[in-house]
Amino acid sequence: MSNLDHGKFTRVTTLFHSLLGLDVFLLFFTGYAIMFNDELWWMLTLMGGASGVTAIHRITGIGLVALVIFWITLQVISSTGRSNFSKVLPAKDDVDAFIQDIQFVLGRADERHPSARQFGGYKADEVPLLSYIGKGVVFIFSIELTLLAISGLLIWSKTGLAAMFQTKAAAMAFVTFHGLLGVIMLMGVMFHIFEHGMHPAFYPVETKAFIPRSMVPEHHGDDDEEPDTTGIERLSLSPSWRTVSTIFGAMTVIGIVSVLIGSIFDEGYPVPRELAIGGGPASILLTIGINLGMVVLGVGLVLSMYGNVLRIRWEQQLERDERPAAADGGEPQTDGGQPEADDAESEH
Amino acid sequence: MTNTEDLPEVSGYSRVSVLISAVVGLAVAALALFWAQGFRIGYESLYRVNPSVEGGGIGSDWVFGNTIPALDFLIALIHAADVILGAFILVMVFIHWAAFQRLADQMREPGEDVNEAVAADGGSPARGDEQGGDSA
Repeated sequence: MSNLDHGKFTRVTTLFHSLLGLDVFLLFFTGYAIMFNDELWWMLTLMGGASGVTAIHRITGIGLVALVIFWITLQVISSTGRSNFSKVLPAKDDVDAFIQDIQFVLGRADERHPSARQFGGYKADEVPLLSYIGKGVVFIFSIELTLLAISGLLIWSKTGLAAMFQTKAAAMAFVTFHGLLGVIMLMGVMFHIFEHGMHPAFYPVETKAFIPRSMVPEHHGDDDEEPDTTGIERLSLSPSWRTVSTIFGAMTVIGIVSVLIGSIFDEGYPVPRELAIGGGPASILLTIGINLGMVVLGVGLVLSMYGNVLRIRWEQQLERDERPAAADGGEPQTDGGQPEADDAESEH
Repeated sequence: MTNTEDLPEVSGYSRVSVLISAVVGLAVAALALFWAQGFRIGYESLYRVNPSVEGGGIGSDWVFGNTIPALDFLIALIHAADVILGAFILVMVFIHWAAFQRLADQMREPGEDVNEAVAADGGSPARGDEQGGDSA
């Protein structure tokens, strides 16, 4: 068995993550159907044109406000939330983990730093709550979501904006600011999907964010038999991993580069430069690239649903096993990172 | 597979704090909706006019519209942040991509015989079997 499978999140966190993911994906699909309407015309049409898209964007935007305020309140009023604050703060270990990751890639380190392992590694109590990437995600996404929610509400209430800034042009600047801010998050989410979908041991999705900690054993029976390290060498690689991770990695890179380039041209800020609203370069390559980025998001949405399917299956399995009660500590159903015997079953 | 006795005691969020947070979240969202909607009616089409500057017609005020340099600066700043963070995110993708390749190399190839692999590096067959998790 490996030490890679320890859960870290509570049930509330896993549920919140799924809801936030669904909401943010819908905001991305609608928001970028507006911003990149040249390239994503089909998406705009599919969601009911300008009025349909803006309606969905506003409904999910209000959903985002509710989710963000819910989470902030929960972190402040609950002892569990307050005790997590210190675990989210950046520490020297995080810098070390980043440096060691580069060394690991260059072959100068044998293992990734404990603070770099997305899914634990070592024993459960020796692993930080969040990897250095996880901390970055929490920080950047928190700032982004707050700024996006505030600027989004200001745009919604245009008269409020106009009253504040006097001119239409100034109000339009907020639309641009909102869209460009979202691009940073869009690129970050693409990386997030790649990072948690294409890890060879957990491919096609890490279950940490979906199966609550309360349902995952922290120790596998006899402690003496626990491997000292992650135990990754005991796991079998999924047959499709190399092909799929290469294609998906390429799609992620193309998607990120394309939305970045697109955001430079398609900023939608009509003052006082060329007065070209949505008139970015109609490049075929850029169109393909931005569409690939949307496919990456779509894959993320599917993987999020699949993670929840795995959780339901894991719950059912726990219920079944409770009755006979003849077992040793097995592994949760992490596809791909599974021992041979279980692989075939979990693939379907 | 897993005996439920092995499952950890987890002190998660209490029901009360989850409930209070949910109520606060929904209340703030409702207030935000009220605020945003309240001002909106009748003004929706105000900014949907295509500007045409030539001849000083509709849209000429776009050109001279923004008299707040701070907003121009904000746009420039967010463009810079986009590019810098985009480049950084790409670096992180490449680092992880390469790290995943190395991790994959440490794993067994698909179809590799479990017993052979363990015997080859001197491990005991029993230890190899154990990785099945539920084989006992």
